[in-house]
Amino acid sequence: MLSDPFTADFLNQLETLRLRTRKEFLGSHPGSYSSPRRGTSLEFSDYRRYAPGDDLRYLDWGIYARTDRLYIKVFREEVDLFAYVFIDASASMTFPSREAKFLPATHVALALAYVILANHDHVKLHLLQHGGGASPFYRGRRRMRDCVEFANAAAPGGGLDMAAGLSEHLKRVRRPGKAILISDFLMPAAAYQKGLNLLRAFNLDIVAIQVLSRYEVDPPFPSGNVALIDSENQQEIKHQWSAAARRNYQSRLAHHNAEIRSFCHQSGIRYSFYVTDRDLGEFVFATLPVIGLFK
Amino acid sequence: MEFLNPGALFGLLALPLLLIPYLVRRKPRRLVFSSVLLFIEGGAQASARRFGRIHVPPIFFLQLLLLALLIFALSEPVFSVRPTRIAILLDNSASMQTLEDGRTRLSLAQEKIGEVIGELGVGGQVDLYLTTPTLTKVQAEPLTPGQALSAIENIRAYDLGDPPMDYDRVLRQLAGERSYERVYLFTDHPASGQSTAARVISVGRPQGNLAVTSFDVHRASLNNARLEANAVVANFSGKDETVKIALQGDGATLASRELVVPASGTATATFEGFAEHPSYQIEIEASDALALDNRRFAVAPTSRNLRILAVTPRPQSAASLKSIQGVRVDVISPAEYAKFDGRDYGLEIFHFSAPAQLPRNPALFILPPESSSLVDLGAPLSNVQVSSWREPHVLTRYVNFSLFRPTYARPLKPQSAGQIVVESPAGALVFAVERTGARYLTLGFDPLPYLGRANLPMSIFTLNILDWFFQSGGSRSQATGEPIPLTGMQSGDSLVTPAGEKIALKSASGSFAATFHQGIYRRVRGGASEFYARNLGDLGESDLRTPTPIELRGEAAHTGSTSVLFSFWPYLLLASLLLLLIEWFINPRRARATLPGVRRVSRQPV
Repeated sequence: MLSDPFTADFLNQLETLRLRTRKEFLGSHPGSYSSPRRGTSLEFSDYRRYAPGDDLRYLDWGIYARTDRLYIKVFREEVDLFAYVFIDASASMTFPSREAKFLPATHVALALAYVILANHDHVKLHLLQHGGGASPFYRGRRRMRDCVEFANAAAPGGGLDMAAGLSEHLKRVRRPGKAILISDFLMPAAAYQKGLNLLRAFNLDIVAIQVLSRYEVDPPFPSGNVALIDSENQQEIKHQWSAAARRNYQSRLAHHNAEIRSFCHQSGIRYSFYVTDRDLGEFVFATLPVIGLFK
Repeated sequence: MEFLNPGALFGLLALPLLLIPYLVRRKPRRLVFSSVLLFIEGGAQASARRFGRIHVPPIFFLQLLLLALLIFALSEPVFSVRPTRIAILLDNSASMQTLEDGRTRLSLAQEKIGEVIGELGVGGQVDLYLTTPTLTKVQAEPLTPGQALSAIENIRAYDLGDPPMDYDRVLRQLAGERSYERVYLFTDHPASGQSTAARVISVGRPQGNLAVTSFDVHRASLNNARLEANAVVANFSGKDETVKIALQGDGATLASRELVVPASGTATATFEGFAEHPSYQIEIEASDALALDNRRFAVAPTSRNLRILAVTPRPQSAASLKSIQGVRVDVISPAEYAKFDGRDYGLEIFHFSAPAQLPRNPALFILPPESSSLVDLGAPLSNVQVSSWREPHVLTRYVNFSLFRPTYARPLKPQSAGQIVVESPAGALVFAVERTGARYLTLGFDPLPYLGRANLPMSIFTLNILDWFFQSGGSRSQATGEPIPLTGMQSGDSLVTPAGEKIALKSASGSFAATFHQGIYRRVRGGASEFYARNLGDLGESDLRTPTPIELRGEAAHTGSTSVLFSFWPYLLLASLLLLLIEWFINPRRARATLPGVRRVSRQPV
């Protein structure tokens, strides 16, 4: 039995969803995702001239009647999907607390993982942190518990170089598939762009989900002078906090998020933004379908 | 606008302290945040920069205003309406002669009075009072400001101490009963407490002072004609002083010496064997603030012999006194006493008799009649045993009271304040009273028949009595303000004051009471002169270091008193409270509360 928010109802609703991919992948088993290879699915792909040895069941008798030539109907191959879920497990994901940011981020990851598992596809969870591990490929909804255990066992901390972290994990990626990157993206544009480009280079269909806590969207600092310490690199800055400073910060955050969205749009990456105090169900069933994540 | 509590205004100097919480608050709170990227992009300062611009929030100015208002309210500001009818009480006691930077306290007070009178309206009325010798109104009718100013200029301080007076009650009474809009007291005493109707304006500051507090010239003893002078010098300062003290007789220096007076203590100087003069002066050379108490005056003992007037129905009993060396005795009957001029006698003995009034001379009452004003007599006793006696005392010196047994005695029941010297189980046997410089002794037994070797304790006791009276004879000066008795008045008699003023004496006057200045008063009577010394008698006037404060015990409603002060500090207090409420609402609560989810870190780097 999974704990909240993964109730039976929620899981049933997730089972109704199927991930959509923009690319065709070479799968290992029959599945429900298009493959560039011709196969035996019901989806017609093309015709080709009959060659001896072809299965006569696929002869198009209609064409033969009209043209007196033998053509074989060719179908697409439908294969299973390999999905890689990258979860940012740096120290910044624990702000203001693990429960307030990292946990909701893992819930998003687990919800998507369950969608994948429920479709008998393969999902692998990766923790983006220094020396971060990865789970084995899971398949089948019964492996959801393993996913949850893996996520719960994660101990976020330390700094993160997104490109380097992704590079470490991508070394072990053998099959193309879908990459879901869950992070706060609170890093210079060059850093996350480099990481996302790396994913693109591996021919992965990428989804970027930015997760921020409410405290990052609207910091509740006391008015006056504050010394802010970066949770990852311990850099300390002094800042005069006031209503005007708050507005200024929120404006810069909006600009930062817009930059991410713009880059993703230009790079063919689906992007969504999740504030952790939002309802997970609403995010999964209302927001993510809008960006075309589900069929 | 005036301030009833101007000391509170010094609190305004503390206003900059309000910046301290902001400076402390300015030390940034160290908070961990997920990423400072966006702040750095926004131009936040790196923590390496130690000092920055002081950011004072608008609430600071509200708090500043709140504090200023509170301090202002504490200073009790009042708007004063110009009074038109005021009373001015001027302390003209001896200490007002003290010099403050070359000016007397009296002149400082006169200057301040001038300022107060100058603030009066055109139709202002001033009643002027002097505090010494008693609270007296200078003019019967109210004075105009101009008249009051000229009257004030002519006032001089007396050589008198302050009268015993509850100034708070007196000031309030004056304000209440005589409908003064304001009553001012100008004095050199510090004042505490506040009152809107009564104001005490103090002049002068605490100072050290040296003073001759006692001076007398007397014979060495009953049997020794050599003159002796004793002077006591008191030091009202915190350090030892060495002064030169000089004895003068009729202006000529007879002897001098140096005297070390310890801090807050006294020293006694004794001079012996000097020539006889009608009057003497002792003076210390001290450049202190009050010159008045640096000298003291005394007159010579009235007689070299103790001259006794014995009033007795049994003349033979008094004859035994004549055998004592240095004693001259005149014996008269009680009936003759009323016609007798007793001014030349150093002692009057009333043997089984008493005058209608206490005599001016020292007097010994031996078994007086039951109608005496000093004592009542108890039932007669025989062979009375003495149960207690006062020691040390001149009267009980060398007396063996175990052998002291009067065969006949009547215990005394004192009717006035005095000192019981010898007592029996049935009551007092010897009762001493000292009044207006004269000593009176009442005996419940008769010692005269035993004078001689027949009863040695009684003889010694009798000699002690004479010695006791002799010590008080003639030379002891009296305090200023004490009247000079004018007995035996003749036409043409006059009195020369210490200032040299000659006053014609009227025959009807029994005494001359205006002895308000220190010095020698000379009474001229038929070509002969009598000298009287009057000295400052109040030590409190000399103690300039710790003057007695005047305490005003606050407001009291009085019918007829009109306050000319409008207090608006309650409104200020109300405004302060209102500002406090506003501040409480405006001041961001979030800044004070613990922020949920925001971690504070210690000063050490994380």
